[in-house]
Amino acid sequence: MSEQAIVRIKGLQKAFGDLEVLKGVDLEVTKGEVVVILGPSGSGKSTLLRCVNRLEEATGGEIWFEDTLVTDKKTDINKVRERIGMVFQSFNLFPHLTAKGNVMLAQQKVLKRSRSDAEKAAIEQLDRVGLSDKIDYYPSQLSGGQQQRVAIARALAMDPHVMLFDEATSALDPELVRGVLDVMKSLAKAGMTMMVVTHEMGFARDVADRVVFMDEGVVVEQGSPEAVFDNPQSERTKDFLGHIS
Amino acid sequence: MDQLIESLQTIQEIFFNTEKMADAFPIILAAFPVSVFIGVGSFFLAIPGGLLLAFMKMAKSRLIRWPATFYVDVVRGTPLFLQILVVYFGLTLLPFYQDLIKAVPALKEPFLFGIDFTIYMRAFFVLSFNSAAYMAEIFRAGIQSIPKGQMEAARSLGMTTPQAMGFVIIPQTVRRILPTLMSEFILLFKDTALLAAVGVAEMTLRARELVASTFNQSAYMVAAGFYLLLTIPLGRLVGRLEDKLAESEGGGGGKRPPTLDAPAIDAEHVIAHSNGLPTTDSRSNPMTGGHR
Repeated sequence: MSEQAIVRIKGLQKAFGDLEVLKGVDLEVTKGEVVVILGPSGSGKSTLLRCVNRLEEATGGEIWFEDTLVTDKKTDINKVRERIGMVFQSFNLFPHLTAKGNVMLAQQKVLKRSRSDAEKAAIEQLDRVGLSDKIDYYPSQLSGGQQQRVAIARALAMDPHVMLFDEATSALDPELVRGVLDVMKSLAKAGMTMMVVTHEMGFARDVADRVVFMDEGVVVEQGSPEAVFDNPQSERTKDFLGHIS
Repeated sequence: MDQLIESLQTIQEIFFNTEKMADAFPIILAAFPVSVFIGVGSFFLAIPGGLLLAFMKMAKSRLIRWPATFYVDVVRGTPLFLQILVVYFGLTLLPFYQDLIKAVPALKEPFLFGIDFTIYMRAFFVLSFNSAAYMAEIFRAGIQSIPKGQMEAARSLGMTTPQAMGFVIIPQTVRRILPTLMSEFILLFKDTALLAAVGVAEMTLRARELVASTFNQSAYMVAAGFYLLLTIPLGRLVGRLEDKLAESEGGGGGKRPPTLDAPAIDAEHVIAHSNGLPTTDSRSNPMTGGHR
């Protein structure tokens, strides 16, 4: 086990009633690493991500985040979530707040930052995602791509140690995908630890330090993008990549 | 042609007699605050009850859900007029009520606008208990119409459930249900007229007395005017709020399933009343919406 691992997943199982979605997943993510998780729909990759910040309760196995056992019921999950940013497929911006208000809310209520500190951080993060001219806009006045970038800024303002991206570009029109991917790319370059579930093969190839291929609730294969894309070992991986490209 | 003018004149004479209307005006005007007081008072008294019922209906435990469901079904499934009759005459038969009146004779003294408190008490009681049942559905549907992703996003940022409720879910719910809640008020305000049948001296009763003594319908038209004075501007406001809401939620949260926006029609919704939430495609119209 690497000393540097920030997220450690051991034998993770998750079932919804009789439906087993995760059947024992092992995965470690080291600090500063960008891990892209690929796989056909229903392979359990989103569920895996949602178990990391306990939006889903694991039914077996362990997840460690830094030195906290996330899967322990006694763990104060809110403390863990402060340090784990999450970006959703459907953005989930708060529609009653402006872009700035969205980024400020949790800073003030969770981190107890002062209004002015929260505002400063909000403006900084919105600038980082290229939306400094949209800070006072409401979500309904923004395009999907812009909304998703606000959602990224909202997560970043909490100074997370790891960022989870759950199909962040899947709900976007094709012409809006680029802007969001560019923000994610620059985050990766800046050294952010990222777990990314996506269907964007180009992103996986260019940005990932490691590609993890999942199918039917298990990790089938993992390695560098070159290894997985150019020389896949498993038949299932070959099959999946063949269908995609 | 002459015949037409003659019949128009007759209609005017019976319904819109200027002299009779002028005579009725101050009397109806004096009763206007009674109707407004009962309507507004019952409305605000119904809100806590409605919220309580809504949270009970959303409870996990069947033991909590069941009494609330039963209450809502009974109240919404029976005529308000019947409920008024039961409360007005039934309540006075209770020994507890008779003791109360004996103990506090002041309750029988004129309270506001020349009407004694027991009358108001019974009016508030029946109308607020009735309205709470309708509001329960409005509140419940409102809270449940907020997409699940909102709670998830708030929780993923480290907020506690009460924080997420207070800063994310409830503010959105209030915005969404405000037009529906105002429509409920309009309906409630119009329903105060039913109290005329049990002798509450509000506008409709006063108008009926005038009509009986003058053999002329004009007093009713004056009363109608006073109801419209409140219902038309409020109805317009509801429409404006709904438009604003539809506009501001146009791009709320990416692609989300339509079922989250419009609460599914269930058995409760089928019983009378237009309490669907305001969405772009199903607008509740308080002025024409069927009710009770």
